[in-house]
Amino acid sequence: MTNYGLVIDQERCIGCHSCAMSCKQENNVPMGQAWNRVLTVGGDHIDTPEGSYPEDGDDGTLEMSYQPTACQHCENAPCVKVCPVNATYKREDGIVEIDYDKCIGCRYCMAACPYNARVFNWDEPQHRPEEGTGDVEERPQGVVEKCTFCSHRVEEGLDPACVVNCPADARIFGDLDDDGSTVSKYVAEYDTNRLLDEKGTDPKTYYIQGEMSPGRPWKGKELESELDEQPTPEEADDPDSEESMRRATADAVWGDD
Amino acid sequence: MTKESRPAHEPIPEWDEAADEILDGCGYDPDLGKRMAEDAIKITNGELTEQEFHEKYHEEVKTEFGTDERPTKPEGFDD
Ligand code: SF4
Ligand code: SF4
Ligand code: SF4
Repeated sequence: MTNYGLVIDQERCIGCHSCAMSCKQENNVPMGQAWNRVLTVGGDHIDTPEGSYPEDGDDGTLEMSYQPTACQHCENAPCVKVCPVNATYKREDGIVEIDYDKCIGCRYCMAACPYNARVFNWDEPQHRPEEGTGDVEERPQGVVEKCTFCSHRVEEGLDPACVVNCPADARIFGDLDDDGSTVSKYVAEYDTNRLLDEKGTDPKTYYIQGEMSPGRPWKGKELESELDEQPTPEEADDPDSEESMRRATADAVWGDD
Repeated sequence: MTKESRPAHEPIPEWDEAADEILDGCGYDPDLGKRMAEDAIKITNGELTEQEFHEKYHEEVKTEFGTDERPTKPEGFDD
């Protein structure tokens, strides 16, 4: 069976917010809402570093690393268990989705999600441009929405928008039930961390920390399963190398989609 | 982390406030939403079974929403 999951290599992530922006664009996420937020690790607030400023001539310990966070598509999802009308449900392929026609806006799922991954449309959704963006219909006022793992793209054989548009190749999407997929290999080979692992929610998003992986080892927008040949991860790119910088800048400016 | 080694779920004061804000004015019983949210984490944690959860809230959910479509319904459960 297919069981989709996401690996985010925090050693590769440069905190550029491309994933957050492309998510918003692709999914027609209303003004003032975000399905995918790039948090900083250790700081007091989003976008603040950890450590201390230089004082009295010392070097200080300021450091900034990033933790992009969206719905973790938990296997054992508390949001699914509390929804009284079964509007939030788990698909056969592991994606946790919301049926917006069924949702009655009770927000019980929001209270139950330990990752703060859901947003509620308090007002009539507003978009810029007004007609909206991307390939997904807007959701009405009074429902909860969140990351769908870009199920509309996945069903077309395409990787999620945030994955394709990450200039650092830090996001890898694929089938965790396929031992040969890049996500499975990276989960097996690298030190990975899942958020709030101790809660037993069994999230499907794995964060690589410590050693940098080679990242998403193929270009283009297809799902790995759609490729003619299995990609072979090379040695991890040095993200500070001239070539990596050039490629990241070109991808960010021109897009890869 | 195995089921046995998971720490028991402890209420977090910050969550309490956040949940109050989320559920304030939701049009349904906010207290029920909070209790169910806490207990849903106890299921993932291994402190409560889905069956216990379903049975515990079935009547309240039916009274509040007129239906109970939660996927936690045990086989053969009599509505
Ligand atoms: S992260 Fe939150 S919204 Fe997503 S599946 Fe888990 S509990 Fe549900
Ligand atoms: S807000 Fe919608 S999706 Fe969430 S629990 Fe209520 S009905 Fe279900
Ligand atoms: S998978 Fe799609 S919906 Fe989820 S964060 Fe990425 S772009 Fe957004």
